[in-house]
Amino acid sequence: MSGLDINAITKAFGNFIAVDNVRLNVPHGTFVCLLGPSGCGKTTLLRMIAGLEEPTSGAIVLDGEDITPLPTHKRNLGMVFQSLALFPHLSVGDNIAYALRIRGASKEEQKKRVDELLTLIHLPGFADRPVAKLSGGQRQRVAIARALALSPKLFLLDEPLSALDAKLREAMQVELRQLQQRLGITTIVVTHDQREAMTMADLVVVMGHGRILQAAPPIEIYRKPADAFVADFIGITNLLPAEVDSAGRTTILGTAIPGLAMPAGVTRASVSIRPEDVHLGQPGSRAITGQVTFVRDLGGTIETFVEVGSTSIIAVATPRERPNVSVGAKVGVTLPPESCVVLGS
Amino acid sequence: MNRLISTQVSRRSVLGAGLATAGVLAMPSILRAQDKSLKVGVYGGYFKKSFDEHVFPDFTKATGIAVESVAEPTGEAWLVQLEQAAKAGQAPADLSMMSQTSTLKGQSTELWTPLDTSKFKHYGDLLPRFINKYPDGRVAGIGAVAWWITLVSNTDVYKEAPTSWAAFWDKANEDKLGLLALASNSFLLEVTAKTFMGGTNALDTEEGLNKAFEKLAEVKPNVRLWYRDEAQFEQALKSGEIPMGQYYHDVTGLAIADGFHVRTTFPKEGGIQDSGNWVLSRASTKVDEAHAFIDYMSQPSMQGVMSRKVGTTPTLKKEVLDLTPAEFASVSSDIEPIIPRYDLYTSKADWINQKWTELIVG
Amino acid sequence: MRREAPKSFADYTPLLFPGLMLVVFFVVPFSTMIAVSFFKRNPAGFYTPDFVIDNYARFLTTFFAGVLGFSLMLAVLVAVCCVSIAFPFTYLLTKRSRRAQTLWLVGLLSVLSLSEVIIGFAWSTLFSQTAGITNLFVALGLMDKPVALLPTFGAVLAGMIYQALPYTILVLYPALVRLDPTLLEAARTLGASPVKAFFNVVTPALRNTIVATLIMVFVFALGSYLLPQILGRPRHWTLSVLITDQAIYQSNMPFAAAMAVFLVLISLALVGLTLLVGRRENAL
Ligand SMILES: Nc1ncnc2c1ncn2[C@@H]1O[C@H](COP(=O)(O)OP(=O)(O)OP(=O)(O)O)[C@@H](O)[C@H]1O
Ligand SMILES: [Mg+2]
Repeated sequence: MSGLDINAITKAFGNFIAVDNVRLNVPHGTFVCLLGPSGCGKTTLLRMIAGLEEPTSGAIVLDGEDITPLPTHKRNLGMVFQSLALFPHLSVGDNIAYALRIRGASKEEQKKRVDELLTLIHLPGFADRPVAKLSGGQRQRVAIARALALSPKLFLLDEPLSALDAKLREAMQVELRQLQQRLGITTIVVTHDQREAMTMADLVVVMGHGRILQAAPPIEIYRKPADAFVADFIGITNLLPAEVDSAGRTTILGTAIPGLAMPAGVTRASVSIRPEDVHLGQPGSRAITGQVTFVRDLGGTIETFVEVGSTSIIAVATPRERPNVSVGAKVGVTLPPESCVVLGS
Repeated sequence: MNRLISTQVSRRSVLGAGLATAGVLAMPSILRAQDKSLKVGVYGGYFKKSFDEHVFPDFTKATGIAVESVAEPTGEAWLVQLEQAAKAGQAPADLSMMSQTSTLKGQSTELWTPLDTSKFKHYGDLLPRFINKYPDGRVAGIGAVAWWITLVSNTDVYKEAPTSWAAFWDKANEDKLGLLALASNSFLLEVTAKTFMGGTNALDTEEGLNKAFEKLAEVKPNVRLWYRDEAQFEQALKSGEIPMGQYYHDVTGLAIADGFHVRTTFPKEGGIQDSGNWVLSRASTKVDEAHAFIDYMSQPSMQGVMSRKVGTTPTLKKEVLDLTPAEFASVSSDIEPIIPRYDLYTSKADWINQKWTELIVG
Repeated sequence: MRREAPKSFADYTPLLFPGLMLVVFFVVPFSTMIAVSFFKRNPAGFYTPDFVIDNYARFLTTFFAGVLGFSLMLAVLVAVCCVSIAFPFTYLLTKRSRRAQTLWLVGLLSVLSLSEVIIGFAWSTLFSQTAGITNLFVALGLMDKPVALLPTFGAVLAGMIYQALPYTILVLYPALVRLDPTLLEAARTLGASPVKAFFNVVTPALRNTIVATLIMVFVFALGSYLLPQILGRPRHWTLSVLITDQAIYQSNMPFAAAMAVFLVLISLALVGLTLLVGRRENAL
């Protein structure tokens, strides 16, 4: 069986449970993004996979082999730290060749591999530069190249792009994804940023309070969030209260939504609907009536804030889709039932 | 200097130069406000304490001259201070206790007012070695305090007392000796000359000195410790770690009294007699008071007090003293002493120092 | 943020105090020493202003070259031993809990309060035949009879290392605490065992700190003059011992000053050389 199996891993720091009974199967070659709010245990989980932290219980199995008892340096993995941790006393080339040198590879072998990797990260000819003289993005790439020098079985990155500015980060996201696909290496990236996760991942793992809340492909996470926490964490969403009325119809904010079925036996639930799925039109009996409180025209998209009673609904559309509405206008809000996700409690 | 660990105050121990000077300014111990007064410099530590207790009050009572005692710093710092002050017409002390070498060095600049010996009633009873003269015969200093450096041994290790300085050269004593580290405070050249070359006159010529150095070099394998710090040797002698060496007769006597298994021996060649003089700064105006003080100190009765209370060797002939034989034996000996060749340490100071350093370090 | 270059005199006032201290405590004494080293020695214990090079000429002999060589060798050895012991020790210390670190540092600080004299006497007792550690070895059956471990070169070295070690640790501590722990972790993920990573990542990454510490301990050890006397034989005496001899016992200030100036210059040259070599290596 190939791939990474995280088997009921728990990590406690004293009384505090940082990672709580996490189970996850990552097939070989998958790009995984670990996503979650600060302090939810992402780094701790990654460090346990790397062997830098010892699990309190549970096992980590890589390609069928239980690697839990192995020390870090015998695990054959590459890791990129948030601080990058480039060796300040070594040049770019020596940094990249470090793992090879430790293994006693010959000078020619080292040089060949360094050149290969420098080409791969688009920094050919940088081998002799001191690392202190690189830009942020270049250092990032060197750190990646260094971690990949031995073609590891597992590639781990802890918030690798968080120190970069927004533009560079987006470019690097794409680059990292392309690199991973070319090499076909099983990769786990910790990130705060759901856009980043959406861009790169085959599998997004959302964590909260040390537990995995949902593990699914990005589009499924977006379209079908498992609960309010995930829905709210991934992108912007409208969380609206739904209930079944005496006639058995599902209503949101007092208006029946035909075609939206609640699970059997549930009479009250939260419904998530993404802003781009919310339609605005003339007020009418089939729509929820609300008042526009704010319009944010971003050029490419227009965000409209509509107040219904004490609830605020956000709708997003392109300018072409939406006739101009102005603040204070009465509008009818239509929620297509196929876009509404009824969330578990 | 380095005597933080010292268990008792040594007679020659002194404060650091800076401290002593500060003390001079801060706390002059004036006995009585009188018209006639005298500033007397004494070695800091034990000597100053003893003089303040046993000597100065009685002197003031007897003569009406108030005494302000000043603690002198170690080494030649006091000499240098006196010299600098005299150039400016100042005298930090009128009379000072001064080592023989420093007395000689002061002579070279006429720092000392020649003393009128007719004012000393017992001048004739002074042992000649305690009269320090200018080359032309004027008297520069009169003996103030004297002490012995003798052959000391640990009685547990040496059941029989050694009898001669030659014990230092005995092959059987390899790595057993503790000797003073400087030519000018160990006086080992003189010991060598007296023991093997017929007397310290052998050191008159450079050839003689070279011979003495050569002979002394044979002692080296026997020396475990060349000490500057008295406490270090004293401790090692008491414990038997370094069972033989040269040390101060008086301090060793105190150790014996305290029950330590050590002894002090006057070798048949004689103990080394070192001493300090009373000298009068040329900048001082208290010439009469100074003579009165030296006269007072040179009485047989005062010398007796000094021997009994302070433990110094009398500067007067034995016959005029009021000491019992036992008292005399505890501070002196009838054996002719080895008198250090102080002149060598002024005229050939650097040459001897260099040869000496090369001898023990090389 | 850009800083303005200081323009008026008032802008320099923050520098006034350190500048003054430097002048008062370094420039003035050192210049005085250089001046005195050219003065003429009067054997009566004084010196007169003059310009003679006798004092330096006297120093240029094989005898003093030997003493100087020994002093430098001893200081280098003490520096190397101290850093070799202190560096791994301090590194491991930074991995302990805060409480343990504080306790250790307080303990080391209290050792600093011991004077050279006390250290010398403590070690001379410890190494003595009558009361020393060899008695303990005898009691443990490791030795047949107690022996004296002094005066020996080893005793001098041990005493001086003991004296300099707390300084070494306290100087290394801040740098090692600040060291990014992920450097070592990165090396481990790249296949280096913790020990290997310590030697080929932590140590070279702190090379400048190590060199600076070596120099500091070297200079510190060069000034030691009591321990060689208390724990060694005369052939283990350093130049500082002879300088003290000349200054205090022989009242030969000009010669003492000449030797001191020579010692300072040689040390400065060695330090400069060390830094130069370090820079060249860095550039490679
Ligand atoms: N060595 C440790 N000792 C005690 N608690 C720790 C330790 N390391 C981490 N924790 C705690 O475990 C929890 C999870 O930490 P972790 O670093 O895994 O969070 P994270 O998800 O990576 O957060 P961030 O996004 O801020 O990096 C945090 O509450 C943290 O305080
Ligand atoms: Mg983290």
